[in-house]
Amino acid sequence: MRLNPILQSAGRWLLAAVTAFAGLQAQAAVVGVSGTGGGGARSFNLFAAEGYVSMADGVQVYSWGYGTAGTGGTGLMQVSGPTLLVNQGEVVTVNFTNNLPTRSSILFPGQSNVVGSGGAAGVLAQEAGPGETVTYTFTAAQPGTYLYQSGTQPSLQTEMGMVGALIVYPSGNPLGAGTGAARLAYNHAGTAYDRETLFVVGDVDSDIHAAIDDQVKDKRAANDACLTATSAAAQCVFNADLSKRFPKYWTLNGRTAPDVFSKNNVSELPHQPYNTLPRLHPGERMLLRVIGAGTDLHPMHHHGNNSWAIARDGRMLASTAVSGPDLAFSDYTIQVVPGQTYDAIWTWTGAGLGWDVYGKLCDPAATSGPNVCTHTPAQQHQLTSDRGKPIPVKLPSEFELAYGEFYSGSPYLGDFGIRPVGAGVANTTGAFFHMFHSHNEREVVNGGIFPGGMMTMMVIEPPGVVIETAQP
Amino acid sequence: MKLAKLYAALIGALLVPAAQAGVYPQCPFDVSRNVDDLNRPISHDLDAASGLTLHSRTVGTGSDTHRQVCAHVAGGDGWQMVGDGSRRVYGFGFSPAKGVDEQVMINGTAAAQFPSPTFTFREGDEVWLALTNVGMIYRPDLFDQHSVHWHGYPQASAIFDGVPQGSATVQMGSTFTYYYKANDPGTYLWHCHVEATEHMEMGMIGMLNVLPRQDGAAVTDAAVGRAFTKFAYNDGDGSTGYDKAFSLQLGAIDSNFHDLHEAVQPLPFLELKGDYTQINGRAYPLTTVEAKEEVPVPADAPALSQPVHSVMHASVGERLLLRLTNGSVDAYYTVTALGLPMKVVGRGAQLAAGPSALGSNSSDWKASGARWAHGTASVTLGGGDGVDLLVDTRGMAPGTYYLYTTNLNYLSNGAGEDRGGLMTTIVLQ
Repeated sequence: MRLNPILQSAGRWLLAAVTAFAGLQAQAAVVGVSGTGGGGARSFNLFAAEGYVSMADGVQVYSWGYGTAGTGGTGLMQVSGPTLLVNQGEVVTVNFTNNLPTRSSILFPGQSNVVGSGGAAGVLAQEAGPGETVTYTFTAAQPGTYLYQSGTQPSLQTEMGMVGALIVYPSGNPLGAGTGAARLAYNHAGTAYDRETLFVVGDVDSDIHAAIDDQVKDKRAANDACLTATSAAAQCVFNADLSKRFPKYWTLNGRTAPDVFSKNNVSELPHQPYNTLPRLHPGERMLLRVIGAGTDLHPMHHHGNNSWAIARDGRMLASTAVSGPDLAFSDYTIQVVPGQTYDAIWTWTGAGLGWDVYGKLCDPAATSGPNVCTHTPAQQHQLTSDRGKPIPVKLPSEFELAYGEFYSGSPYLGDFGIRPVGAGVANTTGAFFHMFHSHNEREVVNGGIFPGGMMTMMVIEPPGVVIETAQP
Repeated sequence: MKLAKLYAALIGALLVPAAQAGVYPQCPFDVSRNVDDLNRPISHDLDAASGLTLHSRTVGTGSDTHRQVCAHVAGGDGWQMVGDGSRRVYGFGFSPAKGVDEQVMINGTAAAQFPSPTFTFREGDEVWLALTNVGMIYRPDLFDQHSVHWHGYPQASAIFDGVPQGSATVQMGSTFTYYYKANDPGTYLWHCHVEATEHMEMGMIGMLNVLPRQDGAAVTDAAVGRAFTKFAYNDGDGSTGYDKAFSLQLGAIDSNFHDLHEAVQPLPFLELKGDYTQINGRAYPLTTVEAKEEVPVPADAPALSQPVHSVMHASVGERLLLRLTNGSVDAYYTVTALGLPMKVVGRGAQLAAGPSALGSNSSDWKASGARWAHGTASVTLGGGDGVDLLVDTRGMAPGTYYLYTTNLNYLSNGAGEDRGGLMTTIVLQ
């Protein structure tokens, strides 16, 4: 059913999509911060602060988040938090300054022997009061995908946005800059990938955020003594009834669809700098780093092909120390569990479609003459038997179909066709757009308006289309 | 039906330009329009209930011998009874297309089935699947498109994926023929992807199975010392062999959502929460009513709209394959078959096995490496998940066994009973 708000949001969809492709934005490497490193050590300066994040229906949600001012940081708090990039074996130091009006901290699930200093001991972690700094140190012993989150009132503070990703690269792939066979997620050739992308999967109950916003404003209006208290017991504590938690927004890297399509670091989303729009060529391996950063389970379904889950919680699905991911499993839906991480490898070749996905109508048996198949090596990921075959149906005319903004008008990869007058196109390369979304379909909405939420596209670019490996 | 005829004629006359053939299913061979089944596909009792007809012929030679299969479904609206049979709710859904040309429109009107008809293909099949959008007669204000998304189809193209953003979807009165090669055996879902939350909640979701090439060969499963001729996957060792297979789609309807839809009200997406959980479009006890004449037909529906019961009959000693999928848009479900040993042998339309040839490029991996099939007493599925379970009945006492969700709060029909919803029976003789 269609209502005015949906029609209105359609414009934003197209705008976001066009914005994404105006600069041919890439998601080849994970965007993040690498702090200051060298000599087997790496340090980060993080802070926590308040701000308002933007949902794609225009609602501004009061949030708490981590931020950093270093290289790659924005100097603003952000949701999700700065993605920390480190190398296996490095001694990682995180100096955390708390600029929230309440106590806070950082937990590093999946890391061992995390030592906190400064501030005061809390239940789960060393905590910093408002204005204080605490330091956490640990050795990143195992490669993989991890999250970090608040260890102070974690149910509330994680809801408020205090969560981010930590990626530990194996030693042969320093900060993900390895090339060729060295580009590994874990220390085994079976974890090789060509491109990587991050999905911090979250759910947001904006009513809780609004309630906390009110409480903070009230304390400030009253100039409450808790705001300047130095003893932990006297400092401000904010509470919401989490038993009545009822999410209204569902996020990928802190953004809702269609904002996920916009570029990284766009000015209109100052507190949500990370996009989610993986692009790859046929035959390339996309490493999906998936983090359950919310409170609910989300069945994330990728169109286009199954993925191979090779690791969970930063541990390879391996039967022995040297076997590599021999217990990997292939699935079309990834169960994203709160607090868990998955690494999965997703590829697409078009092999076995039964027709020539490149639309090169030729005769595979011909060795000379005009009918010879001249597929490039990149195009030969498809089966030889499919080469030269046209699509086996006659497509109805444009009058009988509704065209999506990401459909080029042609069924062939890298090709374009006639589109109805007035149907905008946000597909400038003839790519295939395969959706990646929660199959709890009620989560692909923004505040109750469909579509939006926990959804993005994985983009199969035709061979030859340049996908940048470095982020602007 | 007068209204339906007028409506179909209007759509045919007004919405489709004269040069277009509106109801135009495509098939590479002549199905003579009203011909009997040429080659009835393998199906079991639950599948056959929908009345879906597949036309097929065998082509190719040697290892390329395979079937060409044609099917035709209508996408529209209809009615279903809630779990306790107390009243009807409005829905969208698919039904087997009947007749030719405008007959398809007329016969498809308000004829939606819940669940959507089950497709059973064989590995290697070439499939021409035509969809005619017959419109929603009880929501004449709507002009929604429909589509087919083969959920889990490997190496999919955009045009046949059915996603409205990345593809083209079918306008009312029009017909689109999807083409697939069934390359990978396994348990899949299929559904409409247009305005996905709404159309799936309203009922446009069903099951799709691909049978492996290994079927027909006698392969002995050493673990049980017996040969099977039907298998979930090309396992090579008989470990997925079965005697009987049953497709079970878990799901629910949120009756409030359906009621507001019927009343042309804004849809409460945020509040979506199923209050009538189901298996195969019915709730217990209707899941166990095998006689069609005992199942209520909703007013204004041309025929029984929930044709599939879910009673699984077997003899002690037989091994059953349960093809489980979750078609819910709002909930995870855990299910158990109380008292019967279960084993997970596949998920995501893949054998429960690690990758072959780990050293090779992972885009070439096949699920033929280390086996991780495991015994269990429960299995959990989120929306869009598919799991293959074997139930081994050797040594079990004859009797009636219950398969139900262990999320016990869902074992109800609305506010009414404390024993309903997502439950059915396995009857051993």
